Amino acid sequence: MEGLFFNVNSGYLEGIVRGYRNSLLTGQNYSNLTQCETIDDVKLQLGPAYGDFLASLPPNPSTSSLAGKMTDKLVSEFRYLVAQATGSTAQFLKYLTYGYMIDNIALLITGTLHERDTRELLERCHPLGWFETLPVLCVATNIEELYNSVLIETPLAPYFKGSLNHQDLDELNIEIVRNTLYKNYLEDFFNFVNTHPDFAGPTQEVMTEILQFEADRRSINITLNSFGTELSKQERRKLYPEFGKLYPEGSLMLSRAEDIEGVALAVSAIADYKTFFDAVGLNQGGGLGGMGGSDGKSLEDLFYQKEMDMSKLVFTRQFTPAVVYGWMKLKEQEIRNVTWISECIAQNQKERIGNFISVF
Amino acid sequence: MSGAVGREPVFPTRQSLGLMKSKLKGAEIGHSLLKRKSEALTKRFREITRRIDEAKQKMGRVMQIAAFSLAEVSYAVGGDIGYQVQESAKQARFRVRAKHENISGVLLPQFESYTKEGINDFALTGLGKGGQQIQRCRETYARAVETLVELASLQTAFLILDEVIKVVNRRVNAIEHVIIPRTENTIKYINSELDELDREEFYRLKKVSNKKQRDVAAADAEILAARQKEAERLAQNGTPAQEAKKAEEPEVTDVLGEQEDTDVIF
Repeated sequence: MEGLFFNVNSGYLEGIVRGYRNSLLTGQNYSNLTQCETIDDVKLQLGPAYGDFLASLPPNPSTSSLAGKMTDKLVSEFRYLVAQATGSTAQFLKYLTYGYMIDNIALLITGTLHERDTRELLERCHPLGWFETLPVLCVATNIEELYNSVLIETPLAPYFKGSLNHQDLDELNIEIVRNTLYKNYLEDFFNFVNTHPDFAGPTQEVMTEILQFEADRRSINITLNSFGTELSKQERRKLYPEFGKLYPEGSLMLSRAEDIEGVALAVSAIADYKTFFDAVGLNQGGGLGGMGGSDGKSLEDLFYQKEMDMSKLVFTRQFTPAVVYGWMKLKEQEIRNVTWISECIAQNQKERIGNFISVF
Repeated sequence: MSGAVGREPVFPTRQSLGLMKSKLKGAEIGHSLLKRKSEALTKRFREITRRIDEAKQKMGRVMQIAAFSLAEVSYAVGGDIGYQVQESAKQARFRVRAKHENISGVLLPQFESYTKEGINDFALTGLGKGGQQIQRCRETYARAVETLVELASLQTAFLILDEVIKVVNRRVNAIEHVIIPRTENTIKYINSELDELDREEFYRLKKVSNKKQRDVAAADAEILAARQKEAERLAQNGTPAQEAKKAEEPEVTDVLGEQEDTDVIF
């Protein structure tokens, strides 16, 4: 049933996204890329997929400018999709951009806190997280003003409400603010896809799984990264999204974990995460997580791999805007992959060049 | 007097000769000391050059690793963390202490790096994702900066030593080629002047004694002539009274010289 009227409003959109998906780099492309000797070669290899976006780059561009141009393409494609979307699909796409908005706002709050000229920061903002009232944030000169009169007007206002007040912005570490916002965002997004009548069916199934994974990943990462910092266990617990496969027992155990074994124990109830921890457990050695050996994958890598697999699987479903989410994640990973490869080429570190995640 | 090196403007006296001699001796001692210092410094200089070479190569490797770990971070985080890190860093965790090392009288600054544990301003950066990579990247860069600090202290020592060695060498050369020859010259000059004076003095004395002799001879001849005249006059007059007078007189003169008397009687 859900497919009956879907195409009336969003059929074109879905078609476009599937077209975009076909232009993603494949394993063949990646193996060609890894053979490149210079960034120019990389540029050449990317020609079919990125075309005129790379044309304006100077010869032998820097890795970051290459990545910037690739992001430009992602942005322009996404904007096209936004322009085509209506109704609940448009709402869904908006939710996709909230994650970037959080980053942008965190950036501007950092700037305001340190009394920098925030106008310069606008250029650094991620274009996907751009919203109309973003430049207004620059008007605020102190954090109270920012909170009371400006943040209220942003789409993210509900995420601030109830969990952060203006003193928090001043006192808490910006990373905690960011992660609190992100937690609220994930919960809201989860709530949105689960309650909106238009998304009953494939969207709900797919997005629930993806968002649960995202929430769990954040919980695990926050726990791992907070070891050895001043972040207390109570504060840490507040940052865990309140859904996901780990919620509530796993989250509780995570909040009590004191070392990597504790985390491994906390996630052992979920088969997927347990295998990740078992896989990295061997080369964990002394340090926390990370790319222990040159060939060993880190937890982060495995999470990315899992995310990519899930994003790929989204395309097996039809009549759902979740494909946009899948495509965006795949595209972002592709940009990261290309950046990695060109970084390896630029720095002459060919032995690690295969450390990217290719899904197709 | 003599040569390109010239001599000191002194009066050629025995006192300044003594001064010059002690000066020459001082210059020679100074020369050998400075020479030794220059050798010690050069030895150190070579060692530092070698260590700079090593440190530079190490720096190349370390910086490469560090840059690569930054690439890892940007892969894991998927964005630019530069701004966050810049803004959240408030206190220096990695600090440098300057010390002095004394190498044969030259103070070389030595930088010593140390990390102040407990300062970890951006520990929470990348909390959501990539935090571990960021921390590792920080450690890698801390090592890289350590190498840079080491290199910096070597380079500073290199520059200072270079300068000092130049100065010392200049002094050594100046003493060897200017001061010592000049002092020697001066001594030679004073010696020759003194000799000259000696000779003059001797000649003068000789002259004086010659003149005295001549004067004595002239006086003798005069006296002789006077006596001959007297004798002649006596012979012409021949009066007994006078003769008696004369006889008395020669007796008076007899006290001066008896032999002339005989002549006179003749």
